[in-house]
Amino acid sequence: MASPEISDIGDVGSDGLRRSSPEAALGEPSAPRPKRFSRDSVAAGAKAVAGIVGLFVVWQLLVSILAPPEYLFVGPVSAFAELIERPEYFASNTLVTLQEALAGFALGTALGVLCGAALHYSTTVRSFLYPALIAIDTIPKVALAPLFIVWFGFGFESKAFVAMAIAFFPLVINTYDGLSSVPHELQELARINKASPWKKMTKIDFIYAVPSIFSGAKISISLAVGGAVVGEFIAGSKGLGYVVLLANSQVDLPSMFAAFIVLAAIALALFFIVDFAGRKLAPWKSHAK
Amino acid sequence: MNNEYAISVNNVGKTYRSRDGQSNTVLKGLDFHVKPGQFVSIVGQSGSGKTTLLKTISGLQEPTEGEILVKGRPIRDGIEDIAMVFQSPVLLPWRNNLDNVLLPLEFRGTRTDESRRYAQELLEMVGLGGKAKRYSYELSGGMQQRVAICRALVSHPELLLMDEPFGALDAMTRDSMNFEIQRIWQATGCSVLFVTHSISEAVWLGDRVVVVGDRPGRIIADISIELPRPRGKEHRFSTAFSDYVSEIESHIGVLTGIS
Ligand SMILES: Nc1ncnc2c1ncn2[C@@H]1O[C@H](COP(=O)(O)OP(=O)(O)OP(=O)(O)O)[C@@H](O)[C@H]1O
Ligand SMILES: [Mg+2]
Repeated sequence: MASPEISDIGDVGSDGLRRSSPEAALGEPSAPRPKRFSRDSVAAGAKAVAGIVGLFVVWQLLVSILAPPEYLFVGPVSAFAELIERPEYFASNTLVTLQEALAGFALGTALGVLCGAALHYSTTVRSFLYPALIAIDTIPKVALAPLFIVWFGFGFESKAFVAMAIAFFPLVINTYDGLSSVPHELQELARINKASPWKKMTKIDFIYAVPSIFSGAKISISLAVGGAVVGEFIAGSKGLGYVVLLANSQVDLPSMFAAFIVLAAIALALFFIVDFAGRKLAPWKSHAK
Repeated sequence: MNNEYAISVNNVGKTYRSRDGQSNTVLKGLDFHVKPGQFVSIVGQSGSGKTTLLKTISGLQEPTEGEILVKGRPIRDGIEDIAMVFQSPVLLPWRNNLDNVLLPLEFRGTRTDESRRYAQELLEMVGLGGKAKRYSYELSGGMQQRVAICRALVSHPELLLMDEPFGALDAMTRDSMNFEIQRIWQATGCSVLFVTHSISEAVWLGDRVVVVGDRPGRIIADISIELPRPRGKEHRFSTAFSDYVSEIESHIGVLTGIS
């Protein structure tokens, strides 16, 4: 371990990030949440950024050295140049994909949590629905996309539903798992004290399941972005999936790679937002033994 | 039946049926009575059915034979004043200690402004008054178990069921918890059923020690402990004490053929 004095002086250019949060300065250590910008998380963030920058550098170096023809492979420099050249084009299409993915994710999360809860609380639902759900889960959701287009048309809805179909399952499983892992002593405590089912759910079960639900959501959010793109591949005139398709038909690889970069960036950003929300909602998780 | 008992266990049997149709008789013909305010220790081999007995008395499980009366009434009638302490404290990590203590009252819908003060008093009684706003991860195992005891006491139970509450603690912490539980019991006057693996703990705490034999679980000895109260360290080294311990050991030993 590096001594704190040394790492205090000159590490990560954490511009503007005060290391000690105001709470810590007031000497109020009772709340069970990690300090907002602990030295560890700043270091971890710096490493992550370094990793991504490194990836771009290696990618560009490879392209510069091997010099593949531009219709086969392009480097990040061309991709970023493309982004800078047509910012509105990319921004508007990104917004479309983002909306589809978020709508699908929200819907999939709501349905997934409901289904997971139903599986946990009702033996009837469990015995009828669980095998059926597992069976449906084996169908590649991508294969459902054409069906959704038949049902919901060529617009926004069909893509949101593809995203939903993919985002749904991790939440079912994780909600169910989370609810089932409530220690039996807590169940007994609730029964001895004659807690109503509602009180037991809201004071114990669902809070207990929050970390598990969020692990599901972290998987689902990236899947939802992919789902929206797949929907756009099949029938779209907007969105990043459409951008990729169009670029493909025009052999415009800088545009295609630019779309890839934007897709990766939004998936990453959404993942971290979900992760952050999960930590905020379940701060005790970081103290688990 | 008789109303003057805090608990009457009348010829109780419990048989579990597994899915393949096999039945496992865990308790058979259990018959004993607890006077109000009595401290009854229960010892017995692992698997002899002590936990099953406590769960049946608390109403978490139904006996398959016989009946259990709490203050003369069948437990199903909604007795309000039973509390249970488990081997592990299982506190809610998102609640501070005070709010953990208050949880049973929230379940019952009887939490008031007054109960906050009472919960604070309970924490002070177990020496954790200063930790009310702390979270369980900031406490040692023994401290957590003390919070769990406060959580059990907050609803003013007349009957406290404890299932190896100190089983996970080291010997030193365990000793001090024994003192504490004696003090709490004397202060509250509730009846206690206390399951333990430690015979000396059972003798030191109990007005009575009930020895449960296994396969099927039944009472093989019920020994009154005539040691003065409050009991101190010195009682651990008295001859009367060690006589009780060896008597109980012999009952358990006979069963296993060790003696
Ligand atoms: N829900 C259950 N279904 C079936 N069998 C059970 C159930 N609970 C307990 N048993 C069986 O009943 C017997 C007694 O278990 P119990 O937990 O009451 O023992 P115990 O005396 O508390 O043991 P220990 O001292 O190890 O805690 C065991 O053989 C156990 O396998
Ligand atoms: Mg047990």
